[in-house]
Amino acid sequence: MDQVAVASGLRHLLPEVALLATAAAAMLTHVFSGKGGSRRAGRVSLAGMGFAAGLVLASPRSAGAIFTASLVVDSFAAVLKLAILLSAGLATLLAFRFFDVEGSEPGEAYVLIPLSLIGMMAAVSSVDLITTYVSFELFAIPSYILAAIFKKDPRSSEAGVKYFFLGTLSSAVMLLGMALVFGLTGETRYGAISASLPAADGRAVLAGMALFFAGLFFKAALVPFHMWAPDVYEGAPTPLVVFLSTAPKAAVFAVAVRALAGLFSRYEVSWSLAFQAVAILTMFWGNLAALLQTNIKRLMAYSSIAHAGYLAIGLAAWGEPARWAILYYVVVYVVMNAAAFGMLLLIRRGGTFGESIDDFRGLARQSPLAAAALLVLLLSLAGIPPTAGFMGKYFLFAAAVGKGMILLAAAGALNSVISLFYYFRIGRAIFLEDGGAGAPFERALNPVLVLAASALVLLVLGVFPSLLAGPAVAAALMN
Amino acid sequence: MTILAIPVLTLITFWPLAGLVVVLAIPGRRAAAVRLAANVFAGLEFLATLVLLFRFNPASGEMQFIERADWIRVLHAQYLMGVDGISLLLVLLTSLLTFLATLSSWRAVAERVKEYYAFMLLLEVGMVGVFVSLDLVLFYVFWEVMLVPMYFLIGIWGGERRLYAAIKFFLYTLFGSVAMLVGILVLYFHYHTFDLTAMLRSGTVLPLAVQSWVFLAFFLGFAIKVPLFPFHTWLPDAHVEAPTAGSVLLAGILLKMGTYGFVRFSLPLFPDASRKFVPVVVVLALISIVYGALVSLMQKDMKKLIAYSSVSHMGFVMLGLFTFSPMAVKGAVLQMVNHGVSTGALFLVVGILYERRHTRLISEFGGLSARLPLYAAVFLIMALSSIGLPGLNGFVGEFMILIGTWNTNWVWAAVAATGIVLGAAYMLWLYQRVMFGRLGNPANEALKDLTAREFATFLPLILLAFWIGIFPKPFLVLIDKPVERVLRIVNPAAAAKDAVLIPPAGGGPERSSPLREAR
Repeated sequence: MDQVAVASGLRHLLPEVALLATAAAAMLTHVFSGKGGSRRAGRVSLAGMGFAAGLVLASPRSAGAIFTASLVVDSFAAVLKLAILLSAGLATLLAFRFFDVEGSEPGEAYVLIPLSLIGMMAAVSSVDLITTYVSFELFAIPSYILAAIFKKDPRSSEAGVKYFFLGTLSSAVMLLGMALVFGLTGETRYGAISASLPAADGRAVLAGMALFFAGLFFKAALVPFHMWAPDVYEGAPTPLVVFLSTAPKAAVFAVAVRALAGLFSRYEVSWSLAFQAVAILTMFWGNLAALLQTNIKRLMAYSSIAHAGYLAIGLAAWGEPARWAILYYVVVYVVMNAAAFGMLLLIRRGGTFGESIDDFRGLARQSPLAAAALLVLLLSLAGIPPTAGFMGKYFLFAAAVGKGMILLAAAGALNSVISLFYYFRIGRAIFLEDGGAGAPFERALNPVLVLAASALVLLVLGVFPSLLAGPAVAAALMN
Repeated sequence: MTILAIPVLTLITFWPLAGLVVVLAIPGRRAAAVRLAANVFAGLEFLATLVLLFRFNPASGEMQFIERADWIRVLHAQYLMGVDGISLLLVLLTSLLTFLATLSSWRAVAERVKEYYAFMLLLEVGMVGVFVSLDLVLFYVFWEVMLVPMYFLIGIWGGERRLYAAIKFFLYTLFGSVAMLVGILVLYFHYHTFDLTAMLRSGTVLPLAVQSWVFLAFFLGFAIKVPLFPFHTWLPDAHVEAPTAGSVLLAGILLKMGTYGFVRFSLPLFPDASRKFVPVVVVLALISIVYGALVSLMQKDMKKLIAYSSVSHMGFVMLGLFTFSPMAVKGAVLQMVNHGVSTGALFLVVGILYERRHTRLISEFGGLSARLPLYAAVFLIMALSSIGLPGLNGFVGEFMILIGTWNTNWVWAAVAATGIVLGAAYMLWLYQRVMFGRLGNPANEALKDLTAREFATFLPLILLAFWIGIFPKPFLVLIDKPVERVLRIVNPAAAAKDAVLIPPAGGGPERSSPLREAR
């Protein structure tokens, strides 16, 4: 590869370069600026992410693949990169408040988040086996540390260790799948593999594909590879869960879409049934398990599993409508989940943040704005119009029905009813029950602001879905 | 058709939303201002729908005041609104009952006043939206939007078991509606549009198997709302726990959405499946009529009695719709309005006593007529209207349904007639136990008669009851054409026979529509 090609390719990777510089700057700020350095590092990090988001919008799309055909910078990648940056930005904003209350602020978090972002952003662009694997590791390793960032909190450490072991295992499984595919074709680039796969042994290809997707599904916490998720989400610090429960899933679904569109484009039919099973199992498992929870963080952990199940409907009902439905839902999912975990930062009892549904009792009387925002959020999570959550589900169900998978759509619809039950246990506590004495509610600006802004976005996208669906459709063409 | 290019239906649908914003902007401690604002907005909404009525052309069976705009372009969902006579009547009923319900809450609601009126106005947006939407996705959105305020109305201002009743209502109806959502999507992939008028114009006839499945999906959504036996179990809970105004709207409007759904969507879109399922629906309707009436007889709580009577009355409407005879279907549509008027009023009647005595047990009362003469008169008129006494509205609707049904199948009519007899029994018995006899309970000594505001709430309903009872023609004129259009699709033979009696204006070419030729 000559230098001209590298230089011209680099034009498309300015956001990633900016994030690398951000990580370095945040690290130096953290180390050298003494007391209060952590917060300053956080601000540097936040500013860098904002700048990177601007670059994503401004930097040119590549006509074809760049860097020896290993990366594509199309609008599909751009939409997902923005979603991932949004998730990181919201997490950082919420982290400021969280660390203030906790009394200790590990500044490393603000370095690890941008580092992890580079990996995710490379993953959504990747069309090459090795690049995909490397970028997965690049975002996975910082996220293990993020989960365990509170060294002294046993729950946080446990979360980190679990995340690390199962994450590494899933990487190994995925790598094995990639090795099989590589062994069959002698190629690492998706395009070249797709062209030569038909000549290979069908069963070996299917085995490779199964392992590849098993690895992906581990990382997206889809049933039956979800066991780690509730523990990790419950144990890790809340604002970091905002990041860990959304951004990696966006990256994973992007890789899955690229794999189905390029790598295994000729094998989709043979896998649809398995994907349907995964989607149905995940939705039911996540929602039914969430029904049993009283700890709201764990409840939201299961709810986020269920939402990944809705996304899997898009993989099962593969096609162009499914592709843009996935894009739409990923963006909405990031906003919803960030707000869902963010709402935990609203309440505080005795120095720690509330984690039981009962802690929300009487919120409507004390803080009507936050309560109204939470109502929109809960409706959106349950998929009730006029919210973006409904539109996202509606697009996914439409893709499924369009493929004749009516039972899959019906299962999704039924799950929306199940989920309403536990989301409205929270709604009930907020609006219908009395808080009694004491005022456990935070009046901090950041959580309320994040919530109100998310609620507004969810409402606007629910009433005018074309605002997001239009770009998503254009991006789903993947050219 | 719009008035001077003003999007009237949009204005009428979202006007209460403006009221909601105003109500929320008023500081919460100024409860009187909140009440006044909500009442003014609800009242103006009613006046606005009256304007709609005067601009409406009943001679045409077409959708009128059509508004069309792109909404979700990628899936061809449109912002499409329009009304025909059926929806116009229901929009009028909605705005009237919402106004009266708002008025009736003046003293009944003392807690969280601002939220209360905000939810009432939001509910009105959903209800009006359901009746004017002609695009299935838009319809579905309004259909669901309305669940949320009702959930809160029951859950916050309801009775003792309100938490249970509220979530039960929400889950039940949501379960039905998501089934409908899947049905709507299946329809889309056959018609490639969500536009109801375009679907009917397209002449596409779905295969019977598809029709049947989608019919059942819609049926689940609508039958739970009606509610048809055995989907009615949410209703007594919701009604008993809901605050008075909530019950009025629940019985008056929300139940009508189910029957409206059948007549607007199920019958014309799935004519073959509708015919196929007639036996099932009719049997369920007959069970609802008799079962609802029998259970009403047994009730100790006045509100629960009226709640179960709704199951019986709505069974009548369903029976009328599924006979496909012009007379019965028109009667059924009229009966939707009648039930809204009389049952809405009866819930208000019970609410008045509850407000004064904080109990609804029949055994707590007796001999009230001596102390509350005006109240007794209002109660009597509404009870008789519910029973179907000639001269009052209930009679016209039930009579038309029974005649139409008799001509189709006399056994159905005979079973349904027992429902009327039982209806007279439980209603008159209720009246007797509460109003006549000796004033035994000392707690009732100090009861005050209706105030001017309370009487004003009843007056429009009483006038309507007499008007429809004595001179129903203005109402039937609105219903005639739209019902004929539906029947031309679902039951061409009867529609043709009926056409001899009432010649359709310009209906010639339509009756040889591709839909009919295909069969």
